[in-house]
Amino acid sequence: MSASFPSDFPTTRREFLRTTGSGIGLLTFAQFAPAFLVNSVRAAAPSPERDRTILVLVQLAGGNDGLNTVVPFANDHYHRLRPSLGLTRQAVLPINDELGLHPACRELYALHQDGQLGIIQNVGYPNPNRSHFRSTEIWETASEADDTLSTGWLGRYLDNACAGADAATTSADPAAIHVSGETPPSFASDADHAIFGVPERPLRRSTRNRRNTTPTDVLEAFARSPDHAHDDDHSNHAFLRATAMNALVTERRVEKVLAAYRPGAAYPTDNRFAQSLQKVAAMIAAGFDTRVYFVSLGGFDTHANQAGAHQNLLATLSGGLAAFQADLTAHGLADQVLTTTFSEFGRRPAENESGGTDHGTAAPLFVLGSKLDQTLLGAAPDLDLPSPKADLTYSTDFRSVYATLLDRWLEADADAVLGQRFDRLAFL
Amino acid sequence: MPATPALPHLTAETAWQPLPAEDWSASHARHLLRRAGWSAQPAEVERALADGLPATLQRLFPPSPPSWPAPAAVAETGRGLRETLREIRDLPEPERRRARNRLQQQSRAAGQSLALDWLQHARAPEHATFSKWVLFLDDVYVVSAQKVKQPALIHAHDHILRTHAFGPAQALTKAVSRSPAMIVYLDLQQSKAKSPNENFARELFELFVLGEGHYTENDIKEAARAFTGYRQAGGEFRFARRQHDRGRKTVFGHTGAFDGDQVIDLAYAQPAAATFLPTELARFYLTEDPLPADWIATLGDAWLDDAFDLRALALRFFGSRAFFAPEFRGNAIKSPIQFYLGLLQDLDLDVLPAPRFTLNALRAMGQLPFTPPNVRGWVGGRRWINSTTLAARRQTAAFLIEGLPHNRFNADELRAMEAARAAGHETFFLPPEALIELSEDSPSATVQNWASRWLASPPPPDALAALAELLADADRDETATALTTLLQSPDYQLC
Repeated sequence: MSASFPSDFPTTRREFLRTTGSGIGLLTFAQFAPAFLVNSVRAAAPSPERDRTILVLVQLAGGNDGLNTVVPFANDHYHRLRPSLGLTRQAVLPINDELGLHPACRELYALHQDGQLGIIQNVGYPNPNRSHFRSTEIWETASEADDTLSTGWLGRYLDNACAGADAATTSADPAAIHVSGETPPSFASDADHAIFGVPERPLRRSTRNRRNTTPTDVLEAFARSPDHAHDDDHSNHAFLRATAMNALVTERRVEKVLAAYRPGAAYPTDNRFAQSLQKVAAMIAAGFDTRVYFVSLGGFDTHANQAGAHQNLLATLSGGLAAFQADLTAHGLADQVLTTTFSEFGRRPAENESGGTDHGTAAPLFVLGSKLDQTLLGAAPDLDLPSPKADLTYSTDFRSVYATLLDRWLEADADAVLGQRFDRLAFL
Repeated sequence: MPATPALPHLTAETAWQPLPAEDWSASHARHLLRRAGWSAQPAEVERALADGLPATLQRLFPPSPPSWPAPAAVAETGRGLRETLREIRDLPEPERRRARNRLQQQSRAAGQSLALDWLQHARAPEHATFSKWVLFLDDVYVVSAQKVKQPALIHAHDHILRTHAFGPAQALTKAVSRSPAMIVYLDLQQSKAKSPNENFARELFELFVLGEGHYTENDIKEAARAFTGYRQAGGEFRFARRQHDRGRKTVFGHTGAFDGDQVIDLAYAQPAAATFLPTELARFYLTEDPLPADWIATLGDAWLDDAFDLRALALRFFGSRAFFAPEFRGNAIKSPIQFYLGLLQDLDLDVLPAPRFTLNALRAMGQLPFTPPNVRGWVGGRRWINSTTLAARRQTAAFLIEGLPHNRFNADELRAMEAARAAGHETFFLPPEALIELSEDSPSATVQNWASRWLASPPPPDALAALAELLADADRDETATALTTLLQSPDYQLC
């Protein structure tokens, strides 16, 4: 086997095919060639179908106050528990005689009226944990409250979907993409999948400096350079450079797609969350094979002076999601994409002394898409509590939501991914 | 399957001879500090250079190593656990469940603080080498917090490894057989005279002392009888005399009414005992490609002559010509813990005491402290690197240098940061003045300086030139980006 890489390592699939002629050469010259380059030669197959369903997961980090998102305005207990934070019938956007959306959710309300926004009420899990870290972990791994899993529910979906099938491995696109600083634990898997993170903040690195250089250029120089002291077949250097190059190729492609994107709807410009969703729309519109995306909106930990902060958060959420949905619709992609929110817990029914709410248990979550069967599901929380400090008892297990998404949207073996059977819900 | 590496021009006899004093150089010192610890800080390199190799080894591997006291939250969960459990058992139903949940939450929080505290302890340059040595032993004598679930037991296990880390291996193995965490992890807890559990005996031979192929199934069955009655209660070892099989057993051809300690002595009398741990040692610290059998045999003979003394093994190994052979330098893939702690040392940062960021980052990179994937421990090497873990490493470098905005932290995290500051650990992200200091020279001199300080072998010249281009006319943010880029490079993942 030849020992070194060509000095001009290909950085795109087309460049690669040009340099290797028939495309067979690479298979024998580099055992560490980026996986997709080798696989695309080996398979010589067309890319997977373009109309597959896509799931976008939106995390509301910090614990969203469910009772002031989907408001039981007609409930006397609600007003007793929340003398200052409680919202009146006049204030909310009415869904029916009992419930209304927070007034900041204007755009989401319109989508609900239109049948594109589903509300699943009072979602939680048994023996809830009120620690941010632990409860987030429970939601992301879909474990029991007293169990710890090392893989995430979407990671297991990827493990499951890719087992045996090589459609995913022959793709040049990431299996999953997140627009957030950290790789979401939801994506943690047993097998290795190409998971790509788009930074939340604008890609400074994509802009060339005065000398026409980017950090990606620098990393590519590290990854490409053939003249290393230890450069031979078995060297870990060669292995690392190939793996890094693989990631950089994806990064370059994503940068190009994001820079060239023309959204079909106006996204709020002062809203980083909306910008993140615009990036997701760009990648979907570019025809990526990626089927799961993850976006995070933080700040929901409203222990004090909640009213104004929560108002702003929900306005950010509503404006961002609505622009995203309008954009997808304009691009003819709305039927293909389903967006779901989740938060690690809701907040206490009773407001605290600081005009805020403390860590609670269950809360509603939103599903957004053009293919919904029902738009209001699950029993509303029971506010007739045994004591003023008591907490809500969930009525829908969050894993039933996951089971429904896996089974009826992603067409995966939900029971295998979740490790047990959960009821499916009627929103799909 | 990687090809056999080019071996240094050494023989089985010369490989483990001490490095000649005249060969000792700054590059040797850097290699030693990176491989035996986490990174090679300039001051440490100078000190090692001035002291010479033998004195440096005596210092890095001291006869009485540093202790690591349990963090308060862990000591708290360990104290009175038995009584608490008994009290909970007697409660009526709704309260019992609530009390159990509360206990679980406390122990989970304690587990996080154990991991963070270990990282903070191990990060200190004076604890680095020994902490890594314990991590090595921990990768042999594996227990996992995922099964054991009681942080006090995990800490007690670490304490056992620490206490016996530089003594005779037999004493270490015997102490481990009484480790409450190990008793839970390998199911000795239920092992009775009438129904011995073979799990511990199997791993004792396969993973702790001898390796596969050096014992029979019958040796395991008989040895398992010797460990019946080993129990733990409330974090203490207990011997349940009536559950112990006092009959005659035949192990490795010897027959007698052996107890557990005697079985361990019999295992160390097997020829494979001399080469098993040295093999693991070379794999952990030197190269994932197996060393030639005759090299290992020579190291094993010397260790046998030293009566299996672990400190003697360490001193011989880290002082040897083989350890410093150029073929092995700069070609080991850093484990996530090494990458993270090395990064903190290289940038002079403290552990950010926020599980959501620090522990999640390590988990995303593939190595959360105290949770190895299975009884074999972490396999390491190339298995550490894939597209996801590489992205997690890049993210980690970026957030340590660029910092996280204050509003990303919740109240618990802010409190934890306050407490860490009060304890003298206050720099969680690279301060602006440090960045200025690190980039005072011309761009080309700066990148040269960065590379020689932080990379294990000289980087490709055109990559360095590109980095200097990035740094030319850079403002502060761009300088931070350039530094981040170097620490994200494939080259920084090696040591």
